[in-house]
This record gives sequence, structure tokens and C-alpha cells, in this order.
Amino acid sequence: MTVVTASQAQQWLIEKIAHRVGVPESEIAPEQYFDELDLDSTEALILAGELENWLGFELGSTTLWYHPTIKDLAEFLAQESTVQQQAQVEGQHAATA
Amino acid sequence: MRPRPEQGGRPQPGPVHRLRAAQPGHGTVHLVHPGALAAEVHRNLADALPDGDGLTVLDLSGLPAYFEAALTGGRADTTVQALAERLVAELELAPGDTLVGWSFGGVVAQAMVELLPADRRPRELVLLDSIAPTEGYQQPDEALDAPLLLGWFGMYLGAKRGRPVPLDPARLAGCGTEDGLLLVLDAAVAAGALLPDTSLPGLRKLYETYVDGLLRNNRLTAPYRPVPASVPLVLVTAERSLLPGDRTLGWQPLARHGLTVHSCPGDHYTMLTRPDAAALIAELVRPDRRPQR
Repeated sequence: MTVVTASQAQQWLIEKIAHRVGVPESEIAPEQYFDELDLDSTEALILAGELENWLGFELGSTTLWYHPTIKDLAEFLAQESTVQQQAQVEGQHAATA
Repeated sequence: MRPRPEQGGRPQPGPVHRLRAAQPGHGTVHLVHPGALAAEVHRNLADALPDGDGLTVLDLSGLPAYFEAALTGGRADTTVQALAERLVAELELAPGDTLVGWSFGGVVAQAMVELLPADRRPRELVLLDSIAPTEGYQQPDEALDAPLLLGWFGMYLGAKRGRPVPLDPARLAGCGTEDGLLLVLDAAVAAGALLPDTSLPGLRKLYETYVDGLLRNNRLTAPYRPVPASVPLVLVTAERSLLPGDRTLGWQPLARHGLTVHSCPGDHYTMLTRPDAAALIAELVRPDRRPQR
């Protein structure tokens, strides 16, 4: 499982989205709504799956719904990765206690 | 995705999409669409209708209780009856207009017919590759095994990306989800339907959401007990239907006023986009301008 900062998550998203829509990274603004990007629902779900794989934990399919910009989502991912890691550590402690 | 904030945002679309408005003296085709593909997929059918006729899509994915179930594990907090009641409230069916349902939309459309007063019902109901909610066709989730689902997913992906994804059923048979998805990934990349560096985890997420949408419809259909249709049924099956070789897709027990079956080119999804299929379907669904009474 990976703990990420909001800045790392934002850079990951910008890089992946720019690649998928075929534009330079400089053209992807963090404040843009996902539905303003030329990213169809197929690409958005593939991106969500790759994001889960990178982070090492599952995201609800509604995550992009509730965090509709790159910046919002990156901040959520940073918080969630910390929460997930704490839960994992606590789980390991409980298992060995 | 969530609607943007109201300031500067667009309103969330509801279930009604008027792809083409009817001209004075002409009728409208009302088509119940269960999502999976955008409502715009019916644009070819709209263009194939006679000049002046309209096409309105009633898209179930515009109803949050239905749409969100595909994103949250495939369990919808609604019923076929409730969905039909909701769409009937939106239906502006004039005399001579026609009603059509694609896939699970056909099940809802048939329920809608039975909710209408006798003098407001369409002359017939046209079902596009729709599996009937009848005994033997209402399946438990376990009946939807990996090779079957992967084959359907390949069709869906090909239609979604406008590039067929050819899959060999013999190679899919016996596959589990993971090895089957690798076959789909290879075929989809080779066909240009996916970017060459698309990863298996990315494709898996798309597949799981697709399957949740199917399971949602399957679970809505399983407890539903339809009444026989009060109008004749016209079924159009795709050459590569969801159930290949099944001529009536289970509608016969509900067809007390008759069942006519036609076949059209394409698969379950591309039957909506192929011009040759659209031309055939347009002939079958064209509104009747003669007064009904």
C-alpha cells in the first residue's frame, strides 16, 4: 500500500490523463472538472482501476463522482491513503497482540 | 460524475432525451434505454426514421436509484414496476406514436404498457434484443458465468469504442475472469479499441462496473412477475444476440396478442449503431399517422 501526498497524487493524475487524452501535461489544469476533460466513461473507469493498483487499495466507483476535479480527488487520495495505512498498521498490531 | 456546482455548472440530465423532435402531423418513437451506452447511441435510428418523425429516448440511467446501483455493487433500491411508473410519468405518447425497448429497457417498456389506460396504449410494443422476464429466462447471478460475461463484455467494449473486439468463444470457454480478461485485453489492444499500454487492473475496473450493471438488471428482473402483454409484441433479435440461437428470447408466454420475430445485423450493441440495422428497425418502429380510433 502506498501513502501519497496530494501533490504526488495530482501529478500522477495529470500525467495519466494527459496521456489518455493525448495532450501535453501543461494543458491539464488541476481545477478542471473531469467531465470537461476529453475523458470518456470507459477511460475514466480504466484510470480508476490503474489508480487503485498504484495506491494498493480499492476506491468506490463513486469516488470521481464525489471528487469531480483533479485537485479535489488528489486531496482525497492523500487523506485516504493515510487512513488506509493507519488501518493496516492497527490491523497488524491486533493480529500480533 | 457528480454534477458541478450550480454556478457555472450544467443541470444533471434526467431520463428524457429528445434526439429528434416530431414535425407537425408526424409521430414520435419513444425508446426505453437501460444505459450501458449513451442515449445518443440511438442517433442512427433517429436519422433512419422517415422525415418528420421524432425519436425520444427514455434513459433509465437518468434515474439515480437505477444508475448508481451500477457503481455501488449492482443492487438497486427500486423495482421494475417503480421504474416503469417513473417513466410513464415522463411519457408523452400521442395516438400513433410507438414504444420500443432495448435490452432490459424492453422489460420496463412492457411494464409501462400495462400501466397505461387501454385507450393510450401503443398499437404494439417493439423489443430490441430484449430477454423476457419469464420462467427459464430469469437467472440467478451464478448462471452468469465468466465466459458468458466476458463474451458480452467484448461486444460492449467494441461497441463503446467503435472497433469490434473479436473473441474466440472456444478460447473463452473454461476461462476464469482473470485469464479471460487477459484475452479481452490482448484482443482490444490489437483491434485499437484500447490504448496499447492499458493495464489489466484498469480493464478489470471497467469489467467489474459493466458486470455490476448486468447484475443490477438481473436482480431487478428476478423477482418481477409480469402480466401478459395487452398489445402485440414485435421482437428484433441481433444476429449475435445475447442468447445466440434463441429465437423468441422467452417472450412467447407473455405474447397473448401475438409475437412477431425479426432478425437484424450486428450484435446486441452494434445493432444500435449499424446503418443497416437502423434501417430495418426504423421500418418496424415508424409511427403510425392514422388515427387509432
